[in-house]
Amino acid sequence: MLDAAFLVRRQAPGLVLSGFCYAGGLAFGLAVSAALLVQAGVPADALVDEFLIATFLTSDGLAQTVTAALPLVLVGLASAVAMRVRFWNIGVEGQLWLGAVAATWLGIAGGGPDGLRLPSMLLLSAAMGAAWIAVPLVLKLRFGVSEVISTLLLGSVAFLLVQHLLFGAWRDPATGFPVTAAFAQAARFGALGWGQLHAGLYAVLVVAALVWFALEHTRIGFYADAVGLNARAARANGLPVTGTIVGLVLLSGALSGLAGMTIVAGTEHRLNQSVGSGYLFSAIVIAYLARARPLWVVVVAVMLGAVFTAGSVLKVFYGISEGMIVLVQGTVLISILMAQFFSTYSLSRPG
Amino acid sequence: MDFLVGWIAIVPSYATPLLLASLGLIVCERAGILNLGAEGLMAVGAMTGAIAVLSGADPWAALAAGAAAGIALAFLFGIATVVMRADHTLSGLAVVAVGLGLTGVIGRPYMQKTFPGIASFGEMFGIDRSSALGRIVAVQDPVTLAMPFLVVLLWWWLMRSGSGLRLRAVGENPAAADVAGIDVQVAQFGAVLVSGLLCGLAGAYLCVATSHVWVEGMIAARGWVAVALVIFARWNPARALAGAIVFGSADALVPRLQAIGADIPVYLAMMLPYLLTLLVLVASSMAGRASGEPSFLGRIYLRQDKH
Repeated sequence: MLDAAFLVRRQAPGLVLSGFCYAGGLAFGLAVSAALLVQAGVPADALVDEFLIATFLTSDGLAQTVTAALPLVLVGLASAVAMRVRFWNIGVEGQLWLGAVAATWLGIAGGGPDGLRLPSMLLLSAAMGAAWIAVPLVLKLRFGVSEVISTLLLGSVAFLLVQHLLFGAWRDPATGFPVTAAFAQAARFGALGWGQLHAGLYAVLVVAALVWFALEHTRIGFYADAVGLNARAARANGLPVTGTIVGLVLLSGALSGLAGMTIVAGTEHRLNQSVGSGYLFSAIVIAYLARARPLWVVVVAVMLGAVFTAGSVLKVFYGISEGMIVLVQGTVLISILMAQFFSTYSLSRPG
Repeated sequence: MDFLVGWIAIVPSYATPLLLASLGLIVCERAGILNLGAEGLMAVGAMTGAIAVLSGADPWAALAAGAAAGIALAFLFGIATVVMRADHTLSGLAVVAVGLGLTGVIGRPYMQKTFPGIASFGEMFGIDRSSALGRIVAVQDPVTLAMPFLVVLLWWWLMRSGSGLRLRAVGENPAAADVAGIDVQVAQFGAVLVSGLLCGLAGAYLCVATSHVWVEGMIAARGWVAVALVIFARWNPARALAGAIVFGSADALVPRLQAIGADIPVYLAMMLPYLLTLLVLVASSMAGRASGEPSFLGRIYLRQDKH
């Protein structure tokens, strides 16, 4: 029935056509999201205020947007580097939790010279994130276990570990709430004097620049694309297929772990049950919209940072749940996926 | 003994949503469409069920409403994957995001409100709870009782009927099915809608029959466990029943231990179902080629690819 008109895959869709479909899908997804928000009780004129003016065009709003974008850049890169070798890292949240736990452990336990505190938190959180993704990586390479399910399930396990700590050993003795005690000053990123923005900005910029350089200007990016396009052909040509996959997937976990560290050391200054929520789909959406290109990841992450900022405002003033952010992400993602139909295929009627 | 009876009694209510969802996914994936959206489909089913009951609907009507909501979201998934030939993995993840997001935005006023659910056999027939058997039977409900029949029915349809064979042909070799005159897209779209129906029902059951309350995020990765369960079941409804009982038992263990006041690290114990799922996945993957995975699962068929 549906194939009465013949679908033919385009050999190489033109840049204009692809761009047009991408923009059309994005616009359609945003329009649907806006309609859903209006339906949920946000006045239409407030949408422009909250999503554009209060996020980019005021100093406070822009600072908030950039601050929110810092962990988003890291998780977006995490998802992107794994996507380049066709490894679906659906467990970004789990690796982020582990990174946050590692950073918190150093943040509240103390010890060692103050100057080494933040660097050691950075290293340990990255290592823990990488360790957490190593399990699904080994399971996939050794046994062929689908990483989609294993990374996601380990995300749930990581969150339960956090709850175990917060309702147990790490519970704040002062208040009894399931949050840890506040970090020592030496374990916090210093404020930069612009809104909540903190020195984690430098760490994120350096990391993003390194990932960009590695993927776009060294042979790593070339290997990654070869593996992603056709792993068997890459292996037949003598490329280090397994090494590339292992390296980039571990990097993906490490970046997620770093994101967790940036959140607890930068904005929260303690571990609580909500620091990691909302990053799973953010990571996938950022990486997909950015076509897994590091520079675009940064751009999309800042855009999504604005959605996060607007989301927290909408929550306070209009009682809209954080679920709104996930809904916008899902709507935009499926809208762009569908719009690509028009650039990927062409219709031809059977003669 | 007392603990064991209590545990056995609640296992069916934990196994049923997992089984319903995985049966839906089996039908869908047998037609070649990889469906990772179960978590989202179950979420909208659960929320719709809760809203229906809280708005005064009969619990049975609420189950139907949940199933309908699952179908509606699956329709979107079908448009994306079957009609517009989008990537199955990303479309499935988008469905999860849309489902979880919708429930967060719409369901907020209905959170944490308890409601009466489906009457159990004990309430219907006044079963004597003094014997162990009586205690187990009294807490069951018609849906759990219907499960074995549903499994047999689906197994027979998939494995023994003509239309089941045609559906499997689409998932194994759509080009051959196409040549044989089967409408590939109609079969796939139908299968996607069935997965929406059963996953929506699974979510609604979890909410209306088991927990009697709706909270955001109550599906708690059970949709993903169902996805894993399908692999464990090798896409066979009969094995899905066995798997659902194993996973349901693990899932039911923690609340049971809490109920008798056992001093266990609750959150560590709650990891058990997820770790068990991982273990089972490893074991299933080691089975290798005998995994029973439909050959064309997750791939996109175009007539031009026909050889």
